[in-house]
Amino acid sequence: MIEFRLPDVGEGLEEAEVVQWLVAEGASVVRDQAVVEIQTDKALVEIPAPAAGVVARHAVATGVMLRVGDLLFVLDGDNGEVPAEVEAKAARAVAPPRPAPSPRSALRRVKAAPAVRRLATELGVDLATVAGSGPSGRVEAADVRARVAAPAAAAEPSGAGEPREGLGQALVGNLPLVGLRRATAEIMTRAWREIPHIHGSDEIDATALLDLRRRLQDRAGESRSQLTVTVFLVLAAARALKRYPLVNASISSDARAIEVHGEVNIGFAAATPDGLVVPVVKGVDTLGLPELAREMERLRGLARSRKATPDDLRGGSFTVTNYGSLGGRFATPILLPPQVGILGFGAIRERAIAVAGRVEARPTLPICFGADHRVIDGDLSVAFQETVKDLLSRPAELLIDPRHFDFKV
Amino acid sequence: MVVGEVASATDVLVVGAGPGGYAAALRARQLGRRVTLVEKAAVGGICLNEGCIPSKVLIHAAELASMGAMAADFGVTLEASADLKAVRASMERTIGGLGRGVDALLAAAEVERVSGIARFSRPDRIVVDDGERVRHFEFEEVILATGSRPVALRGLERDGERVLDSTDLLRLSSMPASLAVVGGGYIGVELGTAFAKLGARVCMVEACDRLLPLMRPFQGEAVQRRLASLGARVMLGTQARELTQGGLRVETAAGPEEIEAAKILVAVGRVPNTDDLGLELTEVELDDGGLVLVDGSRRACPHILAIGDITDGPALAHKATAEAEVAASTACGVAASFDPQAIPEVVFSDPEIASVGWTPESAERELGAARSFRLPLSASARARTLGSRGGLVEMIVDGDGALVGVHMAGAHVSELAAEAALAIEMGASAEDLALTIHPHPTMSEALAEAAWGVIGRPLHAMRPKV
Repeated sequence: MIEFRLPDVGEGLEEAEVVQWLVAEGASVVRDQAVVEIQTDKALVEIPAPAAGVVARHAVATGVMLRVGDLLFVLDGDNGEVPAEVEAKAARAVAPPRPAPSPRSALRRVKAAPAVRRLATELGVDLATVAGSGPSGRVEAADVRARVAAPAAAAEPSGAGEPREGLGQALVGNLPLVGLRRATAEIMTRAWREIPHIHGSDEIDATALLDLRRRLQDRAGESRSQLTVTVFLVLAAARALKRYPLVNASISSDARAIEVHGEVNIGFAAATPDGLVVPVVKGVDTLGLPELAREMERLRGLARSRKATPDDLRGGSFTVTNYGSLGGRFATPILLPPQVGILGFGAIRERAIAVAGRVEARPTLPICFGADHRVIDGDLSVAFQETVKDLLSRPAELLIDPRHFDFKV
Repeated sequence: MVVGEVASATDVLVVGAGPGGYAAALRARQLGRRVTLVEKAAVGGICLNEGCIPSKVLIHAAELASMGAMAADFGVTLEASADLKAVRASMERTIGGLGRGVDALLAAAEVERVSGIARFSRPDRIVVDDGERVRHFEFEEVILATGSRPVALRGLERDGERVLDSTDLLRLSSMPASLAVVGGGYIGVELGTAFAKLGARVCMVEACDRLLPLMRPFQGEAVQRRLASLGARVMLGTQARELTQGGLRVETAAGPEEIEAAKILVAVGRVPNTDDLGLELTEVELDDGGLVLVDGSRRACPHILAIGDITDGPALAHKATAEAEVAASTACGVAASFDPQAIPEVVFSDPEIASVGWTPESAERELGAARSFRLPLSASARARTLGSRGGLVEMIVDGDGALVGVHMAGAHVSELAAEAALAIEMGASAEDLALTIHPHPTMSEALAEAAWGVIGRPLHAMRPKV
């Protein structure tokens, strides 16, 4: 019999909450099979069985907070081989979300050429929602790109769209506040209660940004899907942070000290089926655009498949949130303590703006900078936001090698 | 469970080096991943070594051998005789050359090659046994491309002597006096026709009421007429029962009968190679037929993807290759989806058969409205100059006039399938096809002419006045 206690799953972790038992009491497990999911401050972690055997007892129920060293479960090891049949059954008992098998049907009629369908898949555009401009309503590549650049046309009539699957769905009654939900609740409460937020907003002419992105995508071939708008936003934030290091700082929990960070580590908010997760790209100040795009793609994949490690989620010195990817235009983001700055971006949409004395329809990008007023005053807040705005409206500078990047260029 | 074994790590592990597997390996390398490719036999899989490629050599040899009658029509006297051993040698040369080509591509791309039989030892591990030693592999993603094998027929199990599968038949070193072909699908039809041309007395035994039962009736009928003219017997609605002293007992609608057969080819379908992969250790789900269930990105479950004959759809090399493209992208983190509008199917029979997309019935049922037109290939100048008689091109458009299906029987129509597939994929209308200038005199003109026909203004077809 093995008494399995909550291990130290990450630096500094003291407690964790049991989110879900993946193996029932009495069920067999193979070695390394995930038995239980726990939630730390930072991440959802699957705890594997240390040996093959039978899970004799869950020491605690779902929702209970445990400290490192507390009894988690009891395993009856069998000191030998588990029959393959049992192993197989046990392996199947762990059932992370699996893809829905495609219906066994023949061919589905889509009016778009193969390269256009591929582009739509890569850009995450559902062809059924795009009005085709080609003959007989055929969807062309330009239609798909336009849909990404300015989701306005199709998505703007609000309320008409389908919500993300499961979003806001719940049965009437009491729900336990557990797991990622509870972690989010605790952090946000602390931020809201303790931090005097100030917010500043503006709109950015995104014509050059979209044009640059499109041209880079055309060159990027297979990896063009990685060049999301968010990559440019994170890069612009990193460059601006190098100019104003005080924004790249933390405030101590007793509000007696400010730690200014040498490295720019930017968290970017990613919506996952489990809730909000903020993976952190380390050392953005040393990365060029392609490296940053690859790293963000990697982290986003890990977050979505719930494989992000605690290390992937901590160490952020600043946060960027692109609620525009969900369609929102204006919002006032809440800081992630102990950081002192957060940049929010809304959806790029065509709006009438004045350009050299004339009214023109231009894609515009709303920006909102949230700052901790204990550290950052209005002047710095505006200066920082202006720098980001400047970089995004003339984005060619973002392509300069970070080692040579200098505002005097 | 094996504890303490040392596992080699790779990014993408591909199991099976057939037309799906090697393509997936090459594409994943292009996307920058470390790739390991496992194969138990030779690169190229069944397609290159035992299927499509050697059978096309045999079919071409049989065509050459049977050209005497046609040659006479063109004022040429030919005397032909075939030596199966030499035909086999020709197959080997073709297989060897193509196989070396693929080997070179894989080497140039720096794909790691591993010989042996692969099997899951854990949900996240694959063990490869080459008969001498066992190696363990860890992977980020595994792409299963293990293909299929001929299904056995109860009572007529392969013995490699009298009861053969297609692989055995392609390896015969002397001509059988008589050959019974059980199964009138594309493999049976292709090989039955070839052996009839090479001089064997061929009897086709098919349980359905027509040859090529999965294709358009006019296609099976065209093939049946040609088989008859080659002296072959075609028994439809007939079940093969058991071996007899000199042949095969069959059950026809009229009762039992015994047919003479020195050799018997059983080609009644294929089964996926999913039963010996250790899949029960994984979360992969199989359907009743043993096919791996996958989503549009070819994913069966986290970290496991599947392509080719072990998944739903026709067991065709080009389908596997197209799925490989999608699976490799998915495995490398690039969003991709297998969403073809048409998977062309071709049969190298006489005449050749090609089908792309919807039939008039399926288009009517699934797309709402459809129109179709049939162009006899007697209208094709090129068919006439090739000495080919008969043949048909059937074209189907949807309610908007966009091309959704083309079905053909005739000389070289296998080469027309791609144009039809491209038109369907691009959403071309019949008018687009009709107004595209097709070179004269070629078989491809038939597509433009059929397009004019479906528009209602054929130039080379008449509407008798009533």
